Amino acid sequence: MNASVPLSLENVTKRYGQTLALKPTSLHVAPGEMLALLGPSGCGKTTTLRIIAGFSMPNTGSVLIGGVDVTELPPNRRGLGMVFQNYSLFPHMTVGQNVAYGLKTRGMPAAERTKKVRAMLDLVRLSNFEDRSIHQMSGGQQQRVALARSLVTDPKVLLLDEPLGALDRNLRESMQFELRAIQRRLGITSIIVTHDQEEALTMSDRIAVMAEGEIVQVGTPIDIYERPQSQFVSEFLGTANIFDGTLAGPAEAGMWNVRLTLPNAPVVKVAGPPSLRGSSAIRVAVRPERLAISPESTQLRANVRGIVFRGSYYAYELDLPGLEKPIYVYSGEKTVAANDGTIGLGWPDEYAIMLSDGGVR
Amino acid sequence: MSQPAALPIAEAGEATLRSRSGRPFQISSGLWALPALIFLMAFFIIPLAANIARSLPAEDMFRFYAVLFTDPYYLGVVWQTVKVSAITTVACLLIGYPVSYFMVRFAGRWNSLIVFLLIAPLLTSIIMRTFGWTVLFARKGLVNTMLLGADLIEKPENMVNTEMMVYVGLIHVLVPFMVLSITSVLQGVNPSLEESAQILGASKLRTFLTVTFPLSIDGIATGCILVFVLTNGSFLTMLLLGGGKVTTLSLLIYQQFTLTQNIGFAAAMGNVLLLFALIGMTIQLRFLRRKGVK
Repeated sequence: MNASVPLSLENVTKRYGQTLALKPTSLHVAPGEMLALLGPSGCGKTTTLRIIAGFSMPNTGSVLIGGVDVTELPPNRRGLGMVFQNYSLFPHMTVGQNVAYGLKTRGMPAAERTKKVRAMLDLVRLSNFEDRSIHQMSGGQQQRVALARSLVTDPKVLLLDEPLGALDRNLRESMQFELRAIQRRLGITSIIVTHDQEEALTMSDRIAVMAEGEIVQVGTPIDIYERPQSQFVSEFLGTANIFDGTLAGPAEAGMWNVRLTLPNAPVVKVAGPPSLRGSSAIRVAVRPERLAISPESTQLRANVRGIVFRGSYYAYELDLPGLEKPIYVYSGEKTVAANDGTIGLGWPDEYAIMLSDGGVR
Repeated sequence: MSQPAALPIAEAGEATLRSRSGRPFQISSGLWALPALIFLMAFFIIPLAANIARSLPAEDMFRFYAVLFTDPYYLGVVWQTVKVSAITTVACLLIGYPVSYFMVRFAGRWNSLIVFLLIAPLLTSIIMRTFGWTVLFARKGLVNTMLLGADLIEKPENMVNTEMMVYVGLIHVLVPFMVLSITSVLQGVNPSLEESAQILGASKLRTFLTVTFPLSIDGIATGCILVFVLTNGSFLTMLLLGGGKVTTLSLLIYQQFTLTQNIGFAAAMGNVLLLFALIGMTIQLRFLRRKGVK
């Protein structure tokens, strides 16, 4: 493997008894990149992280760090940094001793150690907390101590296991930006495990969405959000309105006509691969904020079930005849329904997303 | 101290009392501690005070204590008592810690079975268990027969009535106390702390020495004090397995009571033992209060 790839997984699998917790998985992380492993609980993301850390042995496949096969190496010889979900700070040590721990195991002289610990505590804005006991630190501060402790040893890769899960909402948001800023400044290759889609979108360069023990889609946050390949991904990241339809023939370049399975069978244009043929079943997703509503008559007319004010936008819940699930629309303006209580619904062609039908892939 | 114990009764009583008299009832009333207080006074504090009085004869107040701490024989017994207790405590720690560690970290669903196996012997009378050892190690007992059969010894060894047997008997009885004390504290040590140490470059041994061990010190202290004090107080094992080779204060007390009936001297020795226990508990309380790791 190439030495310039800080971390790669080659066909790694993990089996617990009869269940395959991780199907053959390969993953390559670029230098300085922050990659998010995103998925619901039990999707295999934590298993993947523990295999990288060395706490769990894969049944097959190999883990490479900087091009070196470390599959057989114990965690203490992999040169990684890790921030745990509950911070895992040593309660019997001070803040300074916690941060110095990794340097001590490496046999760094005391004078040099103190200097590095100070510099790292400065970086996480905890300059005067060196002699504090862990019990005296707030949740956010403990989080920063944990980060300092994992970064001070200059790890090859930083692993973050739901690092902000225990913080309250406001603190979590500001820590997302702070953590990201520190990661960028140090240029450290990082993997963050999270089930929070917002966290993944905010913090990472790339997201690997996991489900049922495998990676179902990898891409930039924009990629994953705007071009999900499956219904699972489209619904796990944000909200998606799903329409079933059949292929009705090619439209202009790269676009297809799709006849939606709705009363009076409206035809919409959706971008799709050129390999499609016949009248195959097509599933189309449209994000709530891409849907446009107006009192005027359009192809689709829906009944307004409810309107909720959510601060920066209005959320509309609509009933579309022929569709079991309600349609959600996020709009900045409040649109008045027509006299018969219906509202016109449409979307620009480029915002219709073609999904592979069924399954998580 | 006694209030939490009284709480459930108070809560149960509250509803009925209120409905009968229509008057709000106070849970925090100190009255509920009275039965426990009377019991402790009658069966604990008064006898202790009486024992102290008994050990201080009117004609020569500190006669018994003077003998105990100046006479070479009795000094030897005091030293023997401390020595046996210390060795038993250390042995229990060395045997018990790995068991605790295994239970907490690796036993998983077998944990409750191991706890049961640990506690089960405690349900058997100590005399039965002690005699069990005598049977095993007797001249024609199982151990001698097996060693003879394996040609490891030529003639039956005398294994009963030795110092060694006393230790075996004591450790057997007291190891569960050590294991349970350490286990309860070790259970509170999050495994991710050990993982943190490892990812920071610490070997398994270093992780144990710098993280696991320091964090379980409270349990170790509790277990050690418990075993030490219990050894101090046990005389049956010395009596039945020592064959007169191990004489400790508690055994001497037993003899003073049953043979010489020098009750004042026995009381004095009892108070010295009590003092040992109090010293141990003070050390432990100081320790816990200072560390107080949650």
